[in-house]
Amino acid sequence: MVVGPFGLDPAIWAVLRLIIAIALAAGLVFNGALAQIYLERKIQAIIQDRVGPIHTGPWGLLQTFADAIKLLGKEDIRARLTDHWFFLAAPAIVFSPMLASYVVIPFAPGVVGADLNIGLLYLTTLGSMTVLGIVLAGWASNNKYSLIGGLRSAGQLISYEVPQILSLVTVVLLVGSLSLTKIVDGQGGWHVYGLIVPLAFVTYFIAGLAETNRVPFDLPEAESELVAGFLTEYSGMRWGLFFVAEYGEVTVVASIITTLWFGGWHGPFTDIHPLLGPALGVLWFTLKTYFFVLVFMWIRATLPRFRIDQLMSLCWKLLIPVTLLNLMVTAVLLLAFPGTHVPVAIANWLMLGGVMLLIPFLQKRRLIALRQRLETRRLALATAERPR
Amino acid sequence: MSYDFLETVLFALLTIGIVGGAVGVVFLNRITGAALLMAFTFLCNAGMFVLLGAETIAAFQVLIYVGAITVLILYGVMFTPQQHRPYALFFQKQTPWAALFVAPIAIFVALFAFSFRDSAHPTPRGGDLVPLATSVFKDFAFPFEVASVLLLAAMIGAIVLVKRDEDE
Repeated sequence: MVVGPFGLDPAIWAVLRLIIAIALAAGLVFNGALAQIYLERKIQAIIQDRVGPIHTGPWGLLQTFADAIKLLGKEDIRARLTDHWFFLAAPAIVFSPMLASYVVIPFAPGVVGADLNIGLLYLTTLGSMTVLGIVLAGWASNNKYSLIGGLRSAGQLISYEVPQILSLVTVVLLVGSLSLTKIVDGQGGWHVYGLIVPLAFVTYFIAGLAETNRVPFDLPEAESELVAGFLTEYSGMRWGLFFVAEYGEVTVVASIITTLWFGGWHGPFTDIHPLLGPALGVLWFTLKTYFFVLVFMWIRATLPRFRIDQLMSLCWKLLIPVTLLNLMVTAVLLLAFPGTHVPVAIANWLMLGGVMLLIPFLQKRRLIALRQRLETRRLALATAERPR
Repeated sequence: MSYDFLETVLFALLTIGIVGGAVGVVFLNRITGAALLMAFTFLCNAGMFVLLGAETIAAFQVLIYVGAITVLILYGVMFTPQQHRPYALFFQKQTPWAALFVAPIAIFVALFAFSFRDSAHPTPRGGDLVPLATSVFKDFAFPFEVASVLLLAAMIGAIVLVKRDEDE
């Protein structure tokens, strides 16, 4: 008879492992969401010169817990003309791929659910499944605001998947593997891909912001235009699931950024002790990830929302050409100079600088063209009115 | 005790999912429900690829079909005006013709499928990309290029069809 770990039957161990993994991931996601909501409130308060939550618990720390309990206790309201099954299924379809993403994220050496060879592909695949849930939520709600929110989200997420995947592929070219552990192993010290392919990092960061529906890309749930977008008809814990899924998705995007561009669990003192080292690795990983989560919040408190046509033209006219060019240049340089990343790094920094310098120039030209068009329309109107 | 029977059980469940989903797509009156069931069928198909040891293809299946194509179909459905038409009628009218054309093909497909009864056991490789890449870019390079030209032509055609003149 085969005996698995802890003297258990392999079949029982497999089931037990599954339950433990789901419980760990769910605990991580829900507690992470609570912490992030608290952080979000506090950081927005600091930026807007307020105090934020202070009354419940020390420094208002218990406020989000109280909110969560309130959400759980709320009545489950469902409007009569909603599409019953889709309405129930949509939060689950949004939530479960996000939860499954945590399987492949390497928190520390050896601390990873499953080291898939195609880990990165798996993550992008799960990220793309969220769209289906959001579109269904919009459709099933039987509400025009929800529907517009869902459709906007479909267009936005499908478009921004392209630059996102293209930026990821640039890093994959450097490593030669889709496995997240191998990507982390390829870095160390100052040799992190964030310094070698910074342009891919910037494009991924922007596309990741759009992929998680965060400000300035939160058009699917734009409060000032669409009530709450696809969330309009939802309440109670179903609404809560959408929100937890959004924060979980933000954490996943931040961990992908940490893993691919900033060395993952690498940091000082990770190899001092066989048990303490991985624990420190988890700490470095969490700190780096939450740094990017905080940057997301900072952006939310700073930038206004895009208009839908601006959003699309940013993706198709700027991000996709830039990522395609970056991918091509990186591939050619890697083939021309095998074994060294220096030419790639030089080219990437130059391209990043070029794009940064190009943006104000393009903006100015666009403004001039806009003004000219307005002027001609005004003249046309004036000449049309004269005969009367 | 061995757990080889689990693979058969999973295969049976996935088959039920694929066939049931496909039947539902054809017979369901509500078109959004049909689209969702189609996504479910694609997911079961991806599960089948995992069973066959082709994790990479399974991932692409979910990424492209569930994540993009189903959403585009839903998008199209939502933008099409629906005047409370009984959608089942649309299919029922054509049932005899459909049966006439499908039956001969179905016979060949069934014969083809049953010729594989004693095939070699698949060996999962944990999503190895190298064989896939070699077959796509070396052995099947020409069909691959032809397919991309076809897609490009389709895309340009779609743009030309829907493009409006600049000033109405």
